[in-house]
Amino acid sequence: MSTKLMMKQVTQTYGDGDSTLSVLNNLDFEVQEGEFVAVLGPSGSGKSTFLSAAGALLTPTSGEIYIDGESIIQKDKTQLTELRLHKIGFMFQSAQLLPYLKVEEQLLYVARLAKLNAKEARQRAADLLKRLEISGKRNQYPEQLSGGEKQRVAIARAWMNNPAILFADEPTASLDYRRGREVVRMIADEVKKERKAAVMVTHDERMLEWCDRVLHLENGKLVEK
Amino acid sequence: MFLALREMRHAKARYLLIMVIMLLVSFLVLFVTGLAKGLAYANISAVENMPANYFVVQEDADHTFRRSQMTVQDLQTAKSVAGDANAASLAVQTSTVTAAENKLKVDVTYFAVDMEGMLAPRITEGKAVTNDQRGNVIVDRKLAESGIVVGSKLYDQATGLAWTVAGYTEDSSYSHTPVVYMNNTDWQAMRTGGGQGKTSAESVPYNVIALHGSSEQAHTITETLDQVEVITQKEAVSSIPGYSAEQSSLMMMIVFLFVISAFVLAVFFYVITIQKTSQFGILKAMGTRMSYLAWSVVGQVLLLSVVSLSISLLLTFAMNAALPDSMPFQLEPSTLILTGCLFIGTSLVGSLISVGRVAKIDALEAIGRAYA
Repeated sequence: MSTKLMMKQVTQTYGDGDSTLSVLNNLDFEVQEGEFVAVLGPSGSGKSTFLSAAGALLTPTSGEIYIDGESIIQKDKTQLTELRLHKIGFMFQSAQLLPYLKVEEQLLYVARLAKLNAKEARQRAADLLKRLEISGKRNQYPEQLSGGEKQRVAIARAWMNNPAILFADEPTASLDYRRGREVVRMIADEVKKERKAAVMVTHDERMLEWCDRVLHLENGKLVEK
Repeated sequence: MFLALREMRHAKARYLLIMVIMLLVSFLVLFVTGLAKGLAYANISAVENMPANYFVVQEDADHTFRRSQMTVQDLQTAKSVAGDANAASLAVQTSTVTAAENKLKVDVTYFAVDMEGMLAPRITEGKAVTNDQRGNVIVDRKLAESGIVVGSKLYDQATGLAWTVAGYTEDSSYSHTPVVYMNNTDWQAMRTGGGQGKTSAESVPYNVIALHGSSEQAHTITETLDQVEVITQKEAVSSIPGYSAEQSSLMMMIVFLFVISAFVLAVFFYVITIQKTSQFGILKAMGTRMSYLAWSVVGQVLLLSVVSLSISLLLTFAMNAALPDSMPFQLEPSTLILTGCLFIGTSLVGSLISVGRVAKIDALEAIGRAYA
């Protein structure tokens, strides 16, 4: 069992002088292989900042972050981009698929970025789309898909490059209850099947059924309740 | 280019529209360039086609041929410096001729040259004129459009002298008028009034001396001769009445068209880029390298400008073929290549603004945003 994400004493401060605001305050967090963790918190609690730091989108003010055993602190922008490409899968609010790519191309695009072999990439894309029950729509544009279908494509895209860990930013925000649950279940399935890890940030407490651990972001720290 | 091409495929109408604008602008650029070149050629081809790289003119003549006066002694000096075959006298006069049979009046420019020297016209039809022959001239083929054929008689309106057209030469215009070449004997006769009596060739001055030589030789001539100036062929051409004014106004149009096309493209791509800010954020968050995104933007601009330029080239060729010969229009491959490269170059410079904008977008844009 390996640690996919480790955050040690991570602090993120905004502003300067008297008006500093610590959004993350000596935060410790670990995610093991096969684990699906939910992070809950009301809006304004720093969920976005937490996700940005964990997902190597910003370098925190202080602290250490390891993704799949690799420290991100000393890396420059280009190296972080490379790291995100190979080690991290992202799911965004309202899926954020590229409007001009067909479903299959959304997956092939990230494979191209990672310079995956074209034939293998096509095979993997087909497998993923099949597992997520969306292969029938592989030649359609996002505008022709429903919200749930879009998020399923987003899951497939996030897993495409075989990342160590998946970060999901409010993946159910634009979905109704039933579809939201389905999407969360599918994320959980993939985590177990591929022996990966996932962190989901959400404010919706009804979506936690499939999660292994539930943490709350309070005062810049993650606490279990 | 994976993204660039697919984006264009998806938003066909949008990119088609901008391509049509580019197409029209580049077509206009090519057309006005061709027109400028054609007009220039119709204006000064007689001087431009001379195998001379320098002209000796009088110092106070302001580079203008007709104001300058050179003597036979000057010519001798020039010949002794540059060599007999590399210096030739040229006399220029604008006039009107009538061709009686068809009651025709045409403005022409007389060029009096040594018919055995370097300025002798190249005959494309008819017979050459020797230095001793009287009453024979070589005319620019453009006069053929007015109905003047080999054997026609031309009457000078001012003096009443008559010449027979012995042959045609091509591409010989001066100040937008066709050139009539005569030998120095006829020139003397005309200048001394009707040709009665004997006149010595020395008595009537020339306007300028055409020179084919090195810059050292040009320098020597300036030193040796009193009150003369040696100007380059380029300077001579730009001093031809009307040439500079005509060319600079057309040049201004061309420059503006380039600037406009660069701006239109730059603004179009800038607006599109701003519209896609969150998309670029997502792409960066997913691990897309900046170089990839930059190439994506530049690639689109390159593709658009190359395709629209190619189509407008085809249009220009088609129009060139359809235009009547009397329309002054000329595009040489070298001009085409230069114009095309400039067009694509300015487009690319315009696209750099968008690239700069994309570079500034932070991957953080991707997190916590509900809408694309």
